[in-house]
Amino acid sequence: MTGSRLPISSALMTPPLLSILAFGLAPLTIVVVWSFWSWDPSTYWIKPDLSLAGYAGILEAGRWTVIVSTLVKAFATALLCLLIAYPTAYAVHFLAGRRLSIILLALITIPFFTSYLIRSFSWRLVLGRTGVLNSWLQDIGIINAPLDWLLFSNFAVVVGLVASYLPFATFPLLLSMRRVDPTFLAAAQDLGAGFWKSLTSILLPLTMSGIFAGFLFVFVMVVGSSTEVQMLGGAGASIVSVMINDVMRVANYPLAFAISTIVLIVIFGLVLIGNRMFGLASLFEDQSP
Amino acid sequence: MMIREGLSNRILLWAITIAGLIVIYAPPLYLLAVSFNPALQPGLPRLSDLSVTWYAALPNDRALVGALQQSLMIATITAVLATGMSLMAALAYFELRAQRTAWFLTVILPMFVPGVIQGLALSAVFTRSGIKASSLTVIAGHLLWAMPFAFIVILTSFAAVRRSYLTAAADLGATWWRQFVDITLPLIRPGLISAFIFSFLLSLNEFTRAFYLAGRQNTLPVVLFGKMNSGASPVIYAMSGAIFLVSVACVALASLHFMLRRN
Amino acid sequence: MIVTKQSRPFSPRAHSNMQRRDFLKLMGAGGIALSAGGLGFASRLAAQDAATIAFWATATLDIGDKWPEFAKQSGVTPEFTDNGNDLGPVIARLAAGNANDLFDIGGFQGGAEKELARQGVIIPWDTAKIPNYESLWQWAKDIPYLKNDGKQYGIPAVVNADSIIYRPDKLGKIDSYGAIFDPKLKGRVAMEDAWINSAIFTAMYLKESENQPIADPGNLSESELGLVMEFLIKHKSDGQFRTFWNGWEQGVQLVADQEVDAMTGWEPIVYEGRKRGLQVEYAAPVEGYEGWGNNMVLLKGAGDRGVSDTAHKFVDGLLGGFYGCELGQARGYLVPTDNNVVYAKAHPDEYKPEEVEKLAEHVKAKFAGKIYWQNARPDNFQLYEEWWQKLRNA
Repeated sequence: MTGSRLPISSALMTPPLLSILAFGLAPLTIVVVWSFWSWDPSTYWIKPDLSLAGYAGILEAGRWTVIVSTLVKAFATALLCLLIAYPTAYAVHFLAGRRLSIILLALITIPFFTSYLIRSFSWRLVLGRTGVLNSWLQDIGIINAPLDWLLFSNFAVVVGLVASYLPFATFPLLLSMRRVDPTFLAAAQDLGAGFWKSLTSILLPLTMSGIFAGFLFVFVMVVGSSTEVQMLGGAGASIVSVMINDVMRVANYPLAFAISTIVLIVIFGLVLIGNRMFGLASLFEDQSP
Repeated sequence: MMIREGLSNRILLWAITIAGLIVIYAPPLYLLAVSFNPALQPGLPRLSDLSVTWYAALPNDRALVGALQQSLMIATITAVLATGMSLMAALAYFELRAQRTAWFLTVILPMFVPGVIQGLALSAVFTRSGIKASSLTVIAGHLLWAMPFAFIVILTSFAAVRRSYLTAAADLGATWWRQFVDITLPLIRPGLISAFIFSFLLSLNEFTRAFYLAGRQNTLPVVLFGKMNSGASPVIYAMSGAIFLVSVACVALASLHFMLRRN
Repeated sequence: MIVTKQSRPFSPRAHSNMQRRDFLKLMGAGGIALSAGGLGFASRLAAQDAATIAFWATATLDIGDKWPEFAKQSGVTPEFTDNGNDLGPVIARLAAGNANDLFDIGGFQGGAEKELARQGVIIPWDTAKIPNYESLWQWAKDIPYLKNDGKQYGIPAVVNADSIIYRPDKLGKIDSYGAIFDPKLKGRVAMEDAWINSAIFTAMYLKESENQPIADPGNLSESELGLVMEFLIKHKSDGQFRTFWNGWEQGVQLVADQEVDAMTGWEPIVYEGRKRGLQVEYAAPVEGYEGWGNNMVLLKGAGDRGVSDTAHKFVDGLLGGFYGCELGQARGYLVPTDNNVVYAKAHPDEYKPEEVEKLAEHVKAKFAGKIYWQNARPDNFQLYEEWWQKLRNA
């Protein structure tokens, strides 16, 4: 790298870096600092007395289990989304002709212009006891009585989450497939590799950046979500954002900030580990000369 | 095309694709049907009952219309800024060598902060620095939310830019700027478009940060949330239906444009 | 175009421009595009110069296109902003966020007045400047959390008393919260996803019908709370509840789509259900009702901006009769004053006096019986939340 390049990278970095510092790092610092302050019963606010009460609170009342179950939900949803999105991206990129691929892309985008709040609510109408799905299943005689577990269950939550965040997996995958050099695949075919062999040994490794990006996008969306769980989950179903709201409702700000800090550390830790293991940050570097 | 999938594998791939489409279309299509049902009770209307009652009431709902305008404005500005800033961040990523990983992690860090917390903390920062809440503060919150997504999308699309192209151009005497405009930009255009759409949708649907950062004019998700919480009329379904129909029209026009342009 | 949408005739104030400049500096490159919204913001501040008031309240209190008529009668034009109807985020926005920069009057579930007053984010009302205050019914004036240190921080604008919404066609007549915990109705009942309501209902049932040692269901001691919550946790673990619900639309949907046959909840859901052609009733439980109020609080920002007098005039308008008639007709909510009936009698072409009177008598009758007041801030409120987590995770 020549010395003359450096000013360019600094100039490029300045605007994004400034906004990250002002709108990202400043509030983040507040969150972390306040998580070590104490709650002040006389003002119902916090005071700058160092305390670990917020962190201790996470270990009580099963709060940590909510963090764990949130991560599990996020993992499961991200995985499911990848399982659906990968074939979709494949179909759009490799199977469909030009026109069909444009139509498919359009179809994938359209639903996400309507509010996810209203979309989640409509799952209640679709999956409920008197909902469309139960009516159909009864009409065609598969079941005699409505299935209760279709709604207000983890099943409903996962359906709602997948429906809400699926394109967050599809688009990065599609972009990563676009970058795959067709000659690699052709070469594999010439060497006699079948579909599954080509898929696992050539396409998957070459699209790893898209897989990572898609997984991360869905994962992060789920960790920040609350609507799907509140509308579709069973009695008292929880997720990190719901728990933080519960805690803020009783003005326990140090606890709310401690939960956020822990969640942030856990996710960022996962990303760092991923980075160590797979070299995530370099996945986006050019792979061909 | 390049791979001979075999019929059964093709069927499998298409079946999963269609299943995915059904899952994402079930809610909006159901809502669309509901929005044409004149009854108060949301449900599928009979064909003979179809009515545009709620659509007719839509323009009179000033709260919804005002919120929609606000949301569209915020989403557009957020998308422009997030795409531009992420492009800069992505270009910087390729200029950097040793600090690449650090830069990458710095840019994506904000996406891990829960919305409730980022919203509250950012509004505390603004309040303490004497900055009044307005559409600007919402945009600031949304910018940080959308930028990591846009950044990764743009990075992914950078793979189309081979180092050899740039080196060749440099050998022919092209400046950094000419390389960027003549080679990089055309190659990453799909990524920029995706990043723009992503940022727009992330901002349009974002609720929590907007709740804490908005001024007196709330965004659409905040107003919808309030209405659903304390007594809504089916006009909210007409609103969703109208947004759905308009986006179908817009996306269809854009697709048509793409199809015709290259044929 | 963006700017004209929000623009009104105005002269920009010096301080708002200053802040915009600081902000732009902070924003660096993004500033130019962002300034468009900033101009709109300056015009919003200036809009306060007329007799307008920024009213930040639950959507329930919004009378939409009737506000112009309200403004004509009261001389104050409210600029209504929905606060989302969740007390937690509302308090957080008052304590740490921007609510005081933006709004003059808050309208939300009562109970947190004490802490808001202690934080100095709300200021007391001067009831002498609200002539209609005297018309409030005595028991509404006596709602415990309206006063703090002898000063009036809350003015009740809407009151009601809640119990159980149920389907008589399936359950016959219900007159006890026992139905909610009846194993025969397993999986066919629901409660609200908030301890603020669900703990008090359960405590009322245990106190009145199971003779448990509970002094005040609205303010449970540590041991009483344990008793109540263990009881709830047991039933939740048994699968008694189909779900816990949040907010109006979800509540209505649960009843309308036959997800549940009985649930604790708000009376207007019954009216809405009937409008949708359902056979639903509201129980008059032997254990009593849960009383609640939506109160008006005066934000400190209103005092700082010198609009306190306008704010008093606005609240006086709310109690003047027209607002009460409109809210009752639209939603079945009651403003606790006789002015509603007076107004309806004077304007029989707008509102039916007999219906306004019927609603008033109905709510009065509920309050004449056994009532326990909803309490957003019982003494052990943080313990309530801890137990609620245990319930969630059980």
